[in-house]
Amino acid sequence: MACRRGDRQPCLSTPSSYTLNCHKPPVCTGQAHSICMVSDFFYPNMGGVESHIYQLSQCLIERGHKVIIITHAYEDRKGVRYLTNGLKVYYLPLRVMYNQSTATTLFHSMPLLRYIFVRERVTIVHAHSSFSAMAHDALFHAKTMQLRTVFTDHSLFGFADVSSVLTNKLLTVSLCDTNHIICVSYTSKENTVLRATLNPEIVSVIPNAVDPTDFTPDPSQQDSSTITIVVVSRLVYRKGIDLLSGIIPELCQKYPNLHFIVGGEGPKRIVLEEVRERYQLHDRVRLLGALEHQDVRNVLVRGHIFLNTSLTEAFCMAIVEAASCGLQVVSTRVGGIPEVLPDNLIILCDPSVKSLSNGLEKAITQLKSGSLLSPEVIHNQVKTFYTWRNVAERTEKVYDRVAGEIVLPMGKRLDRLISHCGPVTGCIFALLSVLSFLFLMFLRWLTPDYLIDAAVDATGPYGAWTQQNFRRKRETLNSNS
Amino acid sequence: MADEEEYVTVSGERITLQRRHYSASCREFLVRCPRLQLRSLSAVTCSVWLVAYGLFLLCQNSVVLSAAIFVTLIGLLVYLHLVKIDQESLLIVGSLGIQMTSSYASGKESTTFIEMNQVKDVVINEAVYMQKVIYYLCILLQDPIDPHVVSEVVPLFQSSKPRLDCLVEVYKSCQEILEQNKKS
Repeated sequence: MACRRGDRQPCLSTPSSYTLNCHKPPVCTGQAHSICMVSDFFYPNMGGVESHIYQLSQCLIERGHKVIIITHAYEDRKGVRYLTNGLKVYYLPLRVMYNQSTATTLFHSMPLLRYIFVRERVTIVHAHSSFSAMAHDALFHAKTMQLRTVFTDHSLFGFADVSSVLTNKLLTVSLCDTNHIICVSYTSKENTVLRATLNPEIVSVIPNAVDPTDFTPDPSQQDSSTITIVVVSRLVYRKGIDLLSGIIPELCQKYPNLHFIVGGEGPKRIVLEEVRERYQLHDRVRLLGALEHQDVRNVLVRGHIFLNTSLTEAFCMAIVEAASCGLQVVSTRVGGIPEVLPDNLIILCDPSVKSLSNGLEKAITQLKSGSLLSPEVIHNQVKTFYTWRNVAERTEKVYDRVAGEIVLPMGKRLDRLISHCGPVTGCIFALLSVLSFLFLMFLRWLTPDYLIDAAVDATGPYGAWTQQNFRRKRETLNSNS
Repeated sequence: MADEEEYVTVSGERITLQRRHYSASCREFLVRCPRLQLRSLSAVTCSVWLVAYGLFLLCQNSVVLSAAIFVTLIGLLVYLHLVKIDQESLLIVGSLGIQMTSSYASGKESTTFIEMNQVKDVVINEAVYMQKVIYYLCILLQDPIDPHVVSEVVPLFQSSKPRLDCLVEVYKSCQEILEQNKKS
């Protein structure tokens, strides 16, 4: 999703002239929001959160909202960029600390974020992923600035180890005065509500989606003389690669025409290579290494069965993508996975070598007897389940609801923090929020709001982008006729 | 003919934009920043000297006092000669090119000239500057080998940093001249 350099053309008129000359009723029936998505994770980094933010933003733009994205700078990608349909992305020069996540001091990012919130006239701040420090920072500042806040949680956590305890505490503080929280599955909702001790009524479940046109079946790619099992995941502990290394030799001994294709990269690759070495399976187990997102489909359609061995998963995108390509899915019964697909499309197993092997054997016998559904049938069924338009529609409802709510004023916010987050943490963060309020006052004195130029909207009801496109289209039509 | 208008910079200072129309394809824009105020000058000098006097009382060494005098004098010279820009001008001549001049408070001038066949376009862009996101006017230079590639971006009015409304005025005039140039 590289941005096109040619698209950095500026807009020519001031916003006021748009409101005067080109007033057009918004496309959607409800009110149009000005939404700011904040996350540390965005393209060019690849992953589920990144594509979620991108696809959701595109669909919200299509529905007539104004959307901007704020993330941190990736190498030389700094400043302001525009993606397809005028989606504006701010790559802020903040220091990356660990795993693509910025440092959180709760203060150093405030001047820039406040400047952007004011110039873009943001009404709703939507933060993504609990791993992203920037998302938490933005939520904190947005609440100080009396903006409405929404948070989407993309992952599941434990409760036992030290790091989880600390993250959970941070999450409690961060979410206790957030207007609304979105989770990707019911399991994830349960987990988040418990971790952050939330009121379940302000937590909505909106699943992820896949683009069904990207994941179409292609039976001609399948080799009918063999049975191919595909695994596409990052090769890390969380994804259960150790289970996979136990399954491969066992099944390869039993079925001489069984092949494995493994796509993905990670620290556990060495385990698979060891297994391949020890059992002399070089021609039957292929390790493809890291896959680009557009290549995933071409790998998927080469197989008959998709295997997912995850040990924890909030909502498994990979199995929906595989099912959309018409593969029979075998997966572990963990996290939100049982909610994702209906029983006739998925074989669920316990996260153990024995149970997964049994599940795979069941799938192989079904395949041999021809009792599996044809890829086209599966695709058509899955196509209707998870679409981004539907996700955007449901997210819009959350925004409408949030827009009607009030943001807690400072006094109530302090009460909430102290009563909700425990005496020590609560008091510390109450103090921090007072400091951040004073800092905001200082910033307002240093650069008052009226000195900040309102940015020209690229998207939304007065979006220059859509109008520019229309004008260009009209011109080409005129010149043709 | 010339007309003057008042605008505000990004940091809230008042500036004047003077437009001179010499002919249909030749225009000049002058952005004049406020002069160095006696008030701020005396404030800085006083504070430096007070600090120096405090140090002198502590360590009883008169070198501190003479050092303070030198620091203020040299600081003022450097500031006037290399930092403080009083006026920035942009002269655009349709068939010839674009000339940018910045005059320092000491009277020093630095001039850059860009030939018209190098100029691809004049645009308003956005950038993260310090703790702000600001609009700025810039000239896109085209690559001599491949005319579709932008080889360099030259920012205009770099020291005064006018706000968007002022930039739009200059931008529109520049575009008029560039359009004429393209037609002929």
